[in-house]
Amino acid sequence: MSALLEVRDLSVAYGAIEAVRDISFTVEAGHIVSLIGSNGAGKTTTLRTISGLLRPTGGEIVFDGKPIHDQPAHTILGSGLAHCPEGRRLFPRMTVEENLQLGAYVRKDDGVEADMQNVYELFPVLGERRHNKAGLFSGGEQQMLAIGRAMMSKPKLLMLDEPSMGLSPIMTQLIFDTIKELQKQGTTILLVEQNALAALALSDHGYVIDLGQTTLDGPGHELLADERVRAAYLGED
Amino acid sequence: MSTLLQQLANGVVQGALIALIALGYTMVYGIIQLINFAHGEVFMVGAYGGLATYTWIVPESVKDVWYVSLPIVLVGGVAVSVAIALLMERFAYRPLRNAPRLAPLITALGVSVFLQEFVRNFYPNATAALPFPGVFVQGQLVIGPIRVGWSGILLIGVSVLLSIALQTYINRSRMGRAMRATAQDPDTAKLMGVNPDRVIVLTFVLGAALAGVAGVLFGTYLNNINTDMGFQTGIFAFTAAVLGGVGSIRGAVVGAFIIGLVKTLAGQYMPGGTQYDYVWIFVVLILVLVFRPQGLFGEPERVRA
Amino acid sequence: MSKLANTIKPFARPLAILGGVLLIVAALLPWVTFALNSGKYPDLATLQFFDAPFAVTGFRWHILLLGVLVLIAVFAPIPSKGRVVRSLGWGGLAVALINSIFITTEGGGLGAITAADGNAAFGGIVGIVAGIAVILGGTGIGIELPAKWKVKLSTPLAYLVLVVTFAAVLFAVAQTLTAGGQGGPANPYAGGLFLSFLGFAAGLLTALNGIGLIGWISELSEKHRVFSVVVLLACALLLPFTNAGSEYWMTVAANIGIYAATAIGLNIVVGLAGLLDLGYVAFMGIGAVVAANLSGAAASKVGIDLPFPIAAVIAAIIAGIFGAIVGSPTLRVRGDYLAIVTLAFGEIFTRSAQNNIGGLTNGANAIPGVPPLDLFGKEFNEPLNIGSVELPSGVLYYVLIVLLVAAVMAIFANLKFSRIGRAWIAIREDEDAARAMGIKTGKAKILAFLVGATLAGLAGAVFAHKNGTVSYESFKFLESVTLLAAVILGGMGSIPGAVLGASLLFVLPEKLREFSDYRLMIFGLALVLIMRFRPQGLVPDRHRRAELAGEDVGGVPVDEVHEHDTKGATA
Repeated sequence: MSALLEVRDLSVAYGAIEAVRDISFTVEAGHIVSLIGSNGAGKTTTLRTISGLLRPTGGEIVFDGKPIHDQPAHTILGSGLAHCPEGRRLFPRMTVEENLQLGAYVRKDDGVEADMQNVYELFPVLGERRHNKAGLFSGGEQQMLAIGRAMMSKPKLLMLDEPSMGLSPIMTQLIFDTIKELQKQGTTILLVEQNALAALALSDHGYVIDLGQTTLDGPGHELLADERVRAAYLGED
Repeated sequence: MSTLLQQLANGVVQGALIALIALGYTMVYGIIQLINFAHGEVFMVGAYGGLATYTWIVPESVKDVWYVSLPIVLVGGVAVSVAIALLMERFAYRPLRNAPRLAPLITALGVSVFLQEFVRNFYPNATAALPFPGVFVQGQLVIGPIRVGWSGILLIGVSVLLSIALQTYINRSRMGRAMRATAQDPDTAKLMGVNPDRVIVLTFVLGAALAGVAGVLFGTYLNNINTDMGFQTGIFAFTAAVLGGVGSIRGAVVGAFIIGLVKTLAGQYMPGGTQYDYVWIFVVLILVLVFRPQGLFGEPERVRA
Repeated sequence: MSKLANTIKPFARPLAILGGVLLIVAALLPWVTFALNSGKYPDLATLQFFDAPFAVTGFRWHILLLGVLVLIAVFAPIPSKGRVVRSLGWGGLAVALINSIFITTEGGGLGAITAADGNAAFGGIVGIVAGIAVILGGTGIGIELPAKWKVKLSTPLAYLVLVVTFAAVLFAVAQTLTAGGQGGPANPYAGGLFLSFLGFAAGLLTALNGIGLIGWISELSEKHRVFSVVVLLACALLLPFTNAGSEYWMTVAANIGIYAATAIGLNIVVGLAGLLDLGYVAFMGIGAVVAANLSGAAASKVGIDLPFPIAAVIAAIIAGIFGAIVGSPTLRVRGDYLAIVTLAFGEIFTRSAQNNIGGLTNGANAIPGVPPLDLFGKEFNEPLNIGSVELPSGVLYYVLIVLLVAAVMAIFANLKFSRIGRAWIAIREDEDAARAMGIKTGKAKILAFLVGATLAGLAGAVFAHKNGTVSYESFKFLESVTLLAAVILGGMGSIPGAVLGASLLFVLPEKLREFSDYRLMIFGLALVLIMRFRPQGLVPDRHRRAELAGEDVGGVPVDEVHEHDTKGATA
C-alpha cells in the first residue's frame, strides 16, 4: 500500500502563536485514519492547512505524490482531496440540490446527475427535501448533506472535521456507519474527532495530537487499548 | 391628476435608471462587503465612453441610423465601464482584501474622486456639461395625459430585461451559484473549488456592464451628461440598494423604483420642490436604516465566522 | 527587496560613497543651460563652478549638504547606517528629480538640463543618478530598525535639549512655510522650490529618525510632557517674529490652523472611533453660519450681536446637536452605512445653504461683513505693536488660532486616553467584540460624532470671523474629502499627523497654484496610494502602528499580507 497523503513536520502559526508544531502523519490509500485530541490541540488547523485555507509556516504536505502546501485552496479539491469542514458550513440559503451541485463545481463530466441520485439513495431524507433550503435542516441532516456535498467531487481522500459534533447518539451511529460504507466504496478517509472512542473503533490507524504535536500513534484498536489514551480521552482512570 | 400621472411615469423612468446602477452596488456588497463608492463613477465613465464612441468611432454615414449607432455606442460605453471596473478591482481593491474595514472604503472614495476629476480634466471640454446624441427613436409615447420619450421607454424596457436576465443568471448558472456561495461563505466556497478572485472579478464586470448601459441610456434620455452625474445618481442607487436590502437583486430593483418615485413626487409636491428632492431620499434612507436595517428583502446581517 | 539587497551587498559601500560624491558634484554643476520661459531659474541654477566656487544657495546647497552627510554617514560609526544612508539618498533623489522636472516642464525641455546653446548643464541628471546610487548603497548596507538611544538626562539638561529641539522645529517650520516664496504668477517657481525643500526636509528627518534622534527626543518630551507642551506653545507663538512674520504668511498659517483644528476633530471620529464621516465640513459650516448670524453681520437675519465667546459656544453646541442627530442611525447599523448618511447630510447642508434655507445663509450671495473680532478695543485684523516691534496684521488671529489648536489637541489627547477613548478604539477594532465586552457601542459612536461636530462648529465660528464672509462654497463635499485626506495622510488617530496632514494639504495648493485643476485628482489618487502602501500615514499613531502594519516606526511599505494568513487567523 502506498501513502495517499503524507504530512511531514507541518507547522502553522496564527501571527506569533504556533497552533501546530512539526506534525507528521501518513494516510494510506483505502484506510480510515483518525486524528484525535482535546479541544485546541490543532486538529482543525491541520485540516484547514491541508486544504489550503491556511498557509503552513514550515513542513510539507504531499498528496498523491505531489506537494500541495503552496497551492491555493480552490485548486486542491480538483486533485481529489475533499474537506468537509467543522460545523458543516453548508450554504444555508441554497437548496439541497444547489449545495450538491456546488460540491460538484469542479467536475466537468456528465456523471453529476447520477452521483446526486447516489447521495439521495444513501440519505433518502435529502432526496425527499431536495428543493428545501439547507439552513432549515436539523443538525444530523445537515451533516448528511455536508458529507454528500463533499462526496460529489468524487474525492480520493475525504477529510471529515468533527462529523459527530452536536448530534444525538443515534445520528452519530448513522454517520459513522456511513463513513464505514464510504470506505468500502473505495474512499480514503481522514477523520478528526473528539469522540475518540467511536473514531478509533472505526479507524485503521490513529494519531493522538496534543498541544500542536503528535504524541502517540498506532492502529485504532491498539490505541483504544492504550492506557494513556483511555485516561486522557475516554475518561477512565 | 394629470400632473400626478406624469410624475409617476417620470419616476418609473428614473427608477429604471437607478435600478441598473443599484444592481452593481448590491452585488459587490454581497460578495465582498464593500460599499463601492466609485460605482457611480463607473456609470459616469460609461456615458462618456458612449459619447466618445459616437463622436470618434461611429461612421458619419450611420450616425442618424439609431439601430446601427445605438448598439455601437452601447458596446463602447460598456467596454469603457468594464475596463475601468477591472482596473480598480485589480489595483485598488484586491490588495486590500484583508485590510481593516475602513481602508477599502477610503480607497473607494479616492477612486471616485479621482475618476470624476480625471474625466473632468482630460475629456475634451468636460469641465461643462456635454450634449449627448439622441441615438434612439425621437418623439414621445403619449397615453392620455402622460408623455414619455421613447428613449425613456427604452430605458424601462432594458432595465427590466437586464434585471431579469441577471437574476436568472445568478440563480441558474454554475458561475451564478459560485457567486452566491462566495457571498454566503467565502471559505467554504473555496473548499468547493470556487476561485474567489474569479467570482469577484465577474461581479465587478457584471455590475460595470449594467452601469455602462445605464450611462449610455441616461445620455440618450436626457441628451446631456456631466461629470457630477455619477456621484449623485450613485448615491440614489446606493440608497435604493440599502432600501431593498443590500445583497438582494430583487430588492435593488424594487428599491430603485421606490426611490425614483420618491424623487419625482417629492420634487413636485414637497416644499422646496426639486431643490430638496435629494433631502427626501435621504430621509427615506435614514428611516430604512433606523427601522429596517436589513432592507425590504435583505437577510439580517451575516455574522462573519 | 531582500533579493536586491543581497545582489548589491558586496558593492554597497562603494556605491554609497560614489553616490555621495556625485551629489556634491551635482551641487557644483550647472543645472540650467539658459533662462527659461518664465524667467531665470533661481538659486544660481546656471552657475558654473569655476565662475563662483562654492557660491551655492537654495536647492543646490541642500544637495551639497546631503552629499556631505552621506559621506559622513558611510564613514562614521553610526547605528542603523543603511537606513540613514537610504533616507539621505531619497532626499537627494527627490530634490534632483523635482528641480529637473520643473526645469524641463517650465519651457526648458530636455535641452535645459542637458546641453543647449553651447552650454552643458548636467547637474540634475548627475543628482538623480547620485540619489539612486545612494539609495541602492543604503539598501545594500542593510536596513535595520531605527536605533534606540539609552541615554538618560538630568532634568535641566533634558529641558535644554527640548528647548533647543523646539527652537529648531520653529526655525524649520518658518523655513518650510516660506520656502519658494508666495505662489502665483509673480513667482512661477514657488511650487517647485517648495516641493524640493520638502523633499530635502523629509530626507533629513527620516535620516534623523533612523539614527534614533527623533525617537529619543519624543521619548524625552513624553517624559517631560507639561514642559514640552509649554515650550511648543511658546514656539508657535513666536512664529510671527521669524521670517514668516508677514501678513501673507500669518494668514496662511492661521488658515492652516483652522483646518488643523478641524482635522483633529475629524480624527476623533475617523481615527479613534473608526467611523468614516464624509460630511464633516458641514458641521464647520453650521458653526460658521450660526456665528455669522449672531455676530451682527449686515446680512444676518437674527440681527443680534453677541460677544464672540458666547456666539462661538452657541455655534459649537448647535453643530454638536446636528452631529448627534446625524450619528444616531449608527444605533442600528454598522459603520460603513454611516458613511453614506454623513455624505447625504453634507449634501443636504450644501443644498440648503445654497437655497438660503430659512433666510439664514443668504444663499449664493454668502453672508458678507462678519465683523472682525476685537479685544480691549483692538481689532484682530490690524497690525500689532509690541514695544518697538511691529507685527503684521493677522497676528492676533494667528495667536487665537494657535490657542484653539492647542485646546483641541488637549481635548483630543484627554479623550484618547480616557474610558470613552478606549471604548472608541475597541469599536474601531471590532464592533461586535466591543459590544460583547459591555461597551454601549451606539452611545459611544453618537458621542464621537457629537464631540467631533462640536469642535468643527467651534472652528467654523472662528473661521467666520477671520474670513469675514461665510459662503456655502467653503463647505462642500470636496472640502470634506480634503480634510479626510489630511487625516489619513498624517496618520489616523495621531495628533501630530493631523496637523502635518492639514498643513501639507492646505499649503501645497497655495504654492502650486498652476496645478489647481488637478488638486482633487491628486488627492483622490493619494487616498488610494496611501491605503495601499502606507495605511498608517506619515506620522503613525503609536497604538495604531501595530494594528495597521505589523511593522515598526520605519518606512518600508507593508508587505502584502497573503490572503490565507489573515483569513485563517480570524476564522
